[in-house]
This record gives sequence, C-alpha cells and structure tokens, in this order.
Amino acid sequence: MGMTTRAAVCRKAGEPWEITELELDDPQAGEILVKFHVAGLCHSDDHVQKGDAPMRMPMVGGHEGAGVVEAVGPAVTRVTVGDHVTCSFIPVCGKCRYCATGRQNLCDAGRNAETGLLATGQFRFHQNGEDFGGLCALGTFSQYAVVHEYSVVKIPEWIGFDVAALVACGVPTGWGSAVRAGDVRAGQTVVIYGAGGVGMNAVQGARFAGAKNVVVVDPVEFKRETAKVFGATHTFATAEEAFEFVRETTWGELADRAIITVGILHDKVIADAINVIGKTGQVTITAVGGGHFDTNSGILLGYGRKIQGSIYGGCSPLVDVPLLIGLYEAGDLKLEELITRRYALDEINQGYQDMLDGKNVRGVIVHEH
Amino acid sequence: MSIVTRAAVGRPGAKAWEITELQLDEPRAHEVRVKIMAAGLCHSDDHVIKAANPGRMMFVGGHEGSGIVESAGPDVTRVSEGDRVVLSYIPACGVCRPCSTGHSSMCVKGLNAGTGMFEDGTWRFHEDGTDVGGFCTLGTFSQYAVVSEYSVVPLRIDFQDIPWEVLCLTGCGVPTGWGSSVYAGGVQVGDAVVIFGAGGVGSNAVQGARFAGAQHVVVVDPVEFKREMATTVFGATQAFATAQEAHDYVNAVTWGQLADKVILTPDVVTEEMLNAAVQMTGKGGKVQVTALGHMGENNMTFRAGALITYHRQVRGALAGDSNLMYDIPKLLSLYKTGQLKLDELVTRKYALDEINQGYQDMNDGKNIRGVIIHEH
Repeated sequence: MGMTTRAAVCRKAGEPWEITELELDDPQAGEILVKFHVAGLCHSDDHVQKGDAPMRMPMVGGHEGAGVVEAVGPAVTRVTVGDHVTCSFIPVCGKCRYCATGRQNLCDAGRNAETGLLATGQFRFHQNGEDFGGLCALGTFSQYAVVHEYSVVKIPEWIGFDVAALVACGVPTGWGSAVRAGDVRAGQTVVIYGAGGVGMNAVQGARFAGAKNVVVVDPVEFKRETAKVFGATHTFATAEEAFEFVRETTWGELADRAIITVGILHDKVIADAINVIGKTGQVTITAVGGGHFDTNSGILLGYGRKIQGSIYGGCSPLVDVPLLIGLYEAGDLKLEELITRRYALDEINQGYQDMLDGKNVRGVIVHEH
Repeated sequence: MSIVTRAAVGRPGAKAWEITELQLDEPRAHEVRVKIMAAGLCHSDDHVIKAANPGRMMFVGGHEGSGIVESAGPDVTRVSEGDRVVLSYIPACGVCRPCSTGHSSMCVKGLNAGTGMFEDGTWRFHEDGTDVGGFCTLGTFSQYAVVSEYSVVPLRIDFQDIPWEVLCLTGCGVPTGWGSSVYAGGVQVGDAVVIFGAGGVGSNAVQGARFAGAQHVVVVDPVEFKREMATTVFGATQAFATAQEAHDYVNAVTWGQLADKVILTPDVVTEEMLNAAVQMTGKGGKVQVTALGHMGENNMTFRAGALITYHRQVRGALAGDSNLMYDIPKLLSLYKTGQLKLDELVTRKYALDEINQGYQDMNDGKNIRGVIIHEH
C-alpha cells in the first residue's frame, strides 16, 4: 500500500537540504512505521550534508527523533501501535557479542548507519524508482519513516516529544562522554571542549559524577553562559586560558579528564586535550571530523595517559535512555534548556545556519502532519 | 669515604659505551650504596645513548640491576646492610598522589630519571670534579652505585637463591611486559591479544596475557628466534613476521571482530606499527603503548576518528602500570613456583667490558635479554 511523506533530503554532498515528497513502503518483518513529531538538528547530519562524513546518497537526514508508532510489521515484539518512542541512533539487536556483553553502543546492527539500509537489505524511502536511505537507518527529517524496532526505545506518553527527541543522541552521547566512556569520578577536575547539544550534557554528566571542577572551553559567549546553567564551574573562551586555570587550581597536577565535544574535530583541540591532563588522565573524544594526532606516542607513557574514542558516550540505549528520562522527570537533568529554537521542516537550512553561527545549543524541527 | 668504581658511561655526543673509573660518594640520608651483581641490557639505555642530544651530560647507563646493600646512609629504614635487593627503575616513595592511588610507576620521585640528580640537587658519581648521573638515578652499569632507598626492593628469605641475572630483570623488563598485559592492557579471559615485539619486555607481555586467560596470544616479530621462543617457551599461540599476517590471522580466528588488546613492546614504536595496531583493534578494544618511538619524531599521526566509531582506546604506561614494590616479589614468587619463566629470558651473559658487543647482539636480534655480570 505505502504512503507519501515530506522529508529533508541530501542528494549530493555539498548541496543544501531539499524538502521533497518521498514514497514510503509499509513496514516489513521487524519494522515499524513511526510518525515523527520532533527531530533534533545534530551536527552529525551537517557533517553528512557537507561531505565531512562520506555516506551513500541520496539520504534522508535526521537521527534524533521522537514520535508515535503508527503501524507494525510482522514479528515486532518491542513496541505496539500507539506507543510513544524515541530513536536510538545505533540499533540494539540484543544478541550480538556487544549487546550480549552490555555494550549496546557497539551493536553489530549499527553497520548500516552510512547507507540507511535496513536489516532486511532493503530501503523503504523511494522517489521515481530511486532508493533513499535514512541516516543511521532512521531519517527523522521525514514526517514518517519505517525503521527497525531495534532502533527505537519506548518512552512514557507524558514526556514531551521535543525533549525526548534529544535523548536519542545528543543527551546520552554527552552524558556518557563524562559518566560512561569518560569515567569521571568524584572530586576530579574535568575540562570539556565544546558546549553545544552534546557538550552541555557532558557538563551535566560530569557534575552528576561528582567532579569538583567542570571547566568549559567554548569560543561562543552564549554557550559559556548557558554552560553555567548546566553546572560548569569555570568557563573560558580559549584552551590556553583553561590550561593556565587548571594548572593553578590543581597545583600543577593538571586535569583528570578532558572531553572533546566540539562541532568539528581538529588537530589543535586534540593536542590541547592531551596536554591538559595529568598522570592517569584520560581524554575522551566524541566529536566528528577530520582531526589527526600529531605527536610522539611517548606523550602517553610518562603520565600513563589514555585516549578513549567514544561512540554514544559508551551508553547502552535501552538502559541509559530510560535512566536519563527518569532523571529529567525527577528534575535532576535539564533538557528543556537545551532547546534554543524550534523550526518548521521548511526552515531546516536556517536551523543549520543558526547552529553554525553559534546561536543554538540545539535547534529542533517540529513536524506538521 | 668515597670509593672508586668501574662503569660504562655515555659521554656527551658519544654513540657507544665507554668503560671508565668514577669516584662514588658515600650514601647520604635515605640513600644506600649497592654492590651491583648483575645488570640487564634494556633497549631504553640504547635509546638514550643513540639519541641525537648533543647537550646531554655524561651519564652511567643501566636501570635494571640486582645486588647487595653495602652501606646505608642516615635515616634509611627500608633496607639494611647485607640485604639482597632488586633495583626498581622507578622509585616508590609511598606517600605522593600516584603512590597513594596505586600508580607508583608515576611516583613524583621519578622526576630525575633523565638526569640522575638526587633530590638535594647533587650527584654521587664524579669524574675529576665533573658530576655524572646514573640513568633513572640508578646506573647499574657500574660495579657500585648509590641509590635512593625508595629505588630498592628487598628480597624475602625464600628468594635468596635466585640467580642475580634473573633478579635484575625483574627491576624493569619483566614487570613492564607483564603489566602491559595484566594491568595497563587489561587483558581478560577469552581475549584475542596481539603483541608487537617479543624481546625482554614483550616475552613477559606474552606470559602475562596467557596468565590473564587470553584465548589468542599472537606475536609479531621480524626475528625468527624470538618468534620461536615466544611460541615454544613463553606461551604465544601464534607468531608472525609481519603485522599484515597477524591482522589477517586475527581477522579470521575472531570472525572479523579483530583483536581485543594490542600491546606494543617492540624496540621502536613506528608510525606504521601504531597505525597497524589501531586497525587491528576491534570494537571497544585497546592499544597499549609500552615502548618508545624515535625521540623527536611524530609517530602518532592517525586520524582521531579511527578511535571513535569502534570506541577504541590508545593508552600509554610506564612499567605497564605495575607497582614495583608489590609486583617484583609477586613475579619472583610465580617464578619460584615454576609458573613464570625467567631463566629463559637470559640469552647471553657479558662482562662489563663486553657491553658494546651485548648491545650489538641485541640490535642484531640475537638476544631476548643480555645481562652484564659485574666483577668486583
């Protein structure tokens, strides 16, 4: 039967988002039809559109989203029609080695993120005979999408779709970059580079984990000011100022943890982060981009330094998404404050421009149906 | 009263060891004079003497050693005259932050490893009025050395019969390799582990990985003799001459999941090796860097994104994050019960005068470890 849906697509890296109508197939075995209410404007989609992260084209953007299950295909067990869900930008199959050992962020079913191919080996978005993938096998910049049931997490009906959408990626990724992958402990000094939609949650995570000093580096004054709302104890415009502060306040022992959540990873921030940590320190890298190391490996030896790459902040979505929503409900986690501006789907390019101009912690698309 | 000692020194600009006589001061507070019986020929000393560092001061080589405490300065409490000791290449003061948190390999008293200066700003070795530092504030390529009491580990009564050449290796190479698997590497039961370089350090990483329960212990070493020793003696399950062969093998036996831990204990960590190690590491895996790269050369140049999607970690550690006050006796007790092979690490013994030959043999791949046996 199928249906049509309006979606923001990228046909070729470098071209702006285009709003178009796509045909959408019915859900097949294990798949569900989701009516998306809200989608988050994450920097990763912009990386795809700019060509920083090469992917199969054409692609429906969006990997942060929340909505309602409209229909289910055969053999679906995790959700039913009418359930409210948020997405998980990495699916959770529950049976691969990594799911079986508590590391859902590494699920083998995540391998199709760059093509949007569903587990059945097919695409559900089409236009004039051409297949369209959804980013991360999702595609939340569409009013409707067919996704695998592995890619959604059920949420309570009373949670707003706007805050729920952010819990699909930015919130757990940032939170986990401090609490899970970042291994922040009570009393530590933590430096967080980049306080956007991900970094702001690293700030909240570091505070929750009991850090003594939560130091934020961000060139944008608005974000530095907002970071204080989320629990930053000190904020600086440059890495050099932060280094001087950390050296002084730790009596030369330097920071315990550095977390990189900048918009575009680059060589300098990597070097800054390595240099700001002291003995037994750890750098956690969550950002996307082309940054390289450019150093002698000996810099890791004398201080026993660790560099941890981080996908999803090391979170397991089926555990951490409900956990974060629970903290939000209890008033312990700030989510509404992350949303700076709301856009209609047609305004998506303006939304990304605002993000790049440093005006938003997070912008969200509110879909119309 | 000071004494005279024969020692192998590196003079400024020299690329080879020279045997000379030095004056050695009496031990001061918290210091002891040790009669060094055996000293290991570790690659680090070779790195130091070969490094292009024209400003380097004259130094006594050697940071692996075993011997007997001959005299103790004032206020020494950890050992007494006559004690048999292993010299630890990093001191452990027991009170600084790293020591207090179980990371004594980063003890703040290790600060002067490169200069051999003592805490009061003076040196104990001299040549005609010129101060001479001992490497790691030790200098075991000397018949006698004055060292901090924090740098010596006394031997239990049941360790007294262990040969000196075996004892000296437990001051650096053995715990560094062992810890690279067991502590810093965090090898777990069932892991697939790849170890680059099966020399005096790597052979012990192999033993450590086996002890920690790894399913696959895969060695990469270009030298056939070392591959042979790794598989027949130390417990490697496979050994290959090249990284590519190891990559293909691990890819096959793990059904594409790749290695859980890759441990770098070669002579020199190169850019090519580091890149291969990252690519060989699977999801959630770890690269443990133990050996040094060429000084002044940026061998770590890979794209940071290589760590992100697979959630990989790259870390470094001194002594494999061992705590030498604990681990040296622990390793010796494993040796005493026949569970850890240390005799097999010693390939050749040399007199002090033969030290340059010893290092030539090391660089030619002939030795797992060469050891100097001092004469007195």
